[in-house]
Amino acid sequence: MANRRCIQNLNRHFQFLRTRTPHLNPQFLAPTSKFTLHPAFTPKSLHRLFNSNDINAQSVVFRHFCSKNRNDDTDEEEEDEDDDDDYESEGQDIESADDERENETAALSPEDKEKEAAEIGYKVISPLQKSDRVFKPYEPVFAVVQIGSHQFKVSNGDCIYAEKLKYCNVNDKLILNKVLMLGSKTQTIIGRPILPDAAVHAVVEEHALDAKVIIFKKKRRKNYRRTKGHRQELTKLRITDISGIEKPENMPSLKTEKKEKIPSLKTEKKEKQEKMPVAA
Amino acid sequence: MALRGVWQLQKLIVSCCDWGGSSRGIGEFLESQLLAFKEKNPQLEVIAELNRGHHPFLKGLYRNKNERVVCVKNMTPEDVHQCATRLRNALGRKAVKLKTRHVTKHPSVQGTWTTDLQM
Repeated sequence: MANRRCIQNLNRHFQFLRTRTPHLNPQFLAPTSKFTLHPAFTPKSLHRLFNSNDINAQSVVFRHFCSKNRNDDTDEEEEDEDDDDDYESEGQDIESADDERENETAALSPEDKEKEAAEIGYKVISPLQKSDRVFKPYEPVFAVVQIGSHQFKVSNGDCIYAEKLKYCNVNDKLILNKVLMLGSKTQTIIGRPILPDAAVHAVVEEHALDAKVIIFKKKRRKNYRRTKGHRQELTKLRITDISGIEKPENMPSLKTEKKEKIPSLKTEKKEKQEKMPVAA
Repeated sequence: MALRGVWQLQKLIVSCCDWGGSSRGIGEFLESQLLAFKEKNPQLEVIAELNRGHHPFLKGLYRNKNERVVCVKNMTPEDVHQCATRLRNALGRKAVKLKTRHVTKHPSVQGTWTTDLQM
């Protein structure tokens, strides 16, 4: 049923195209008649034919005539197409959507697709750490990083709770490559909108559920009351390193110089407060 | 779950019943997917127990001496696997509502802004 419906919709499109592109008519006149007779035609092959005509937004329009019996599969396919449309080049949209559909139905996408999806969330996975000295002491450098649609001002050793990152496991090293701004004590580098050479290294600490939020709906005097529980899936990232900016090299002094440190610190603080307005 | 590279879940107790119908899913999980789960997590100590007359559960013991018990009665093996993975992925902390999504000890690098700041 769904196939027939699809083909009917595609038929309508074809006829629409025919009127729009009269120079292509002689090639396609024959197939149109065939299409109505062959319900076995998959939407895939039809899409590939469409590709040559450079239809982009219109091919997605065939969703107009949806009925209640729509399967979940077709809904997922449409969502995949929408996602792909955003970041891939126009000519390849429909083909890649088809590929994604095939792979998703196999319940495993190839690593390349996973990497692309990871880039939407602006992260690249590097292999798991094994006795790496990744956790450094605090450095006075910050970065503004974007993960998905949320931005965080991040420094060394911070923890961030982002939305669930799908394609990484616990104890994975990530590189967040969408860095919008870098700053240190003396320097500030602003990206337009991204800084291409900057990178922020992070480690996935946990994938956990947030506390339960109860969504309670009520309409008074109308006998309507609904209660729904919701737990958001979060990923906790620990930021380990920020690269792309010069870090000040102030090694903390050893025990013997502790007493001397305290008065000197106070003077340094005053100097820094005066310095910052000038530099920033 | 790994705090600074250290895995937090130390022990996972998988307890089921061989008679009751609610343990069917976890029984299948024990036969089919438990070995793969064990191999994926060599740092984890997985113990399978027989607990007759009771519904099946997964008990996770964390480094902070916290116990998380998840009842898996009438669940499919895939659901049980997901529960086990969730226990492995989480820290042992209680699920408290987050105050902020960004936890830091050093909130300011260039100095906190005040109204008197002269640029």
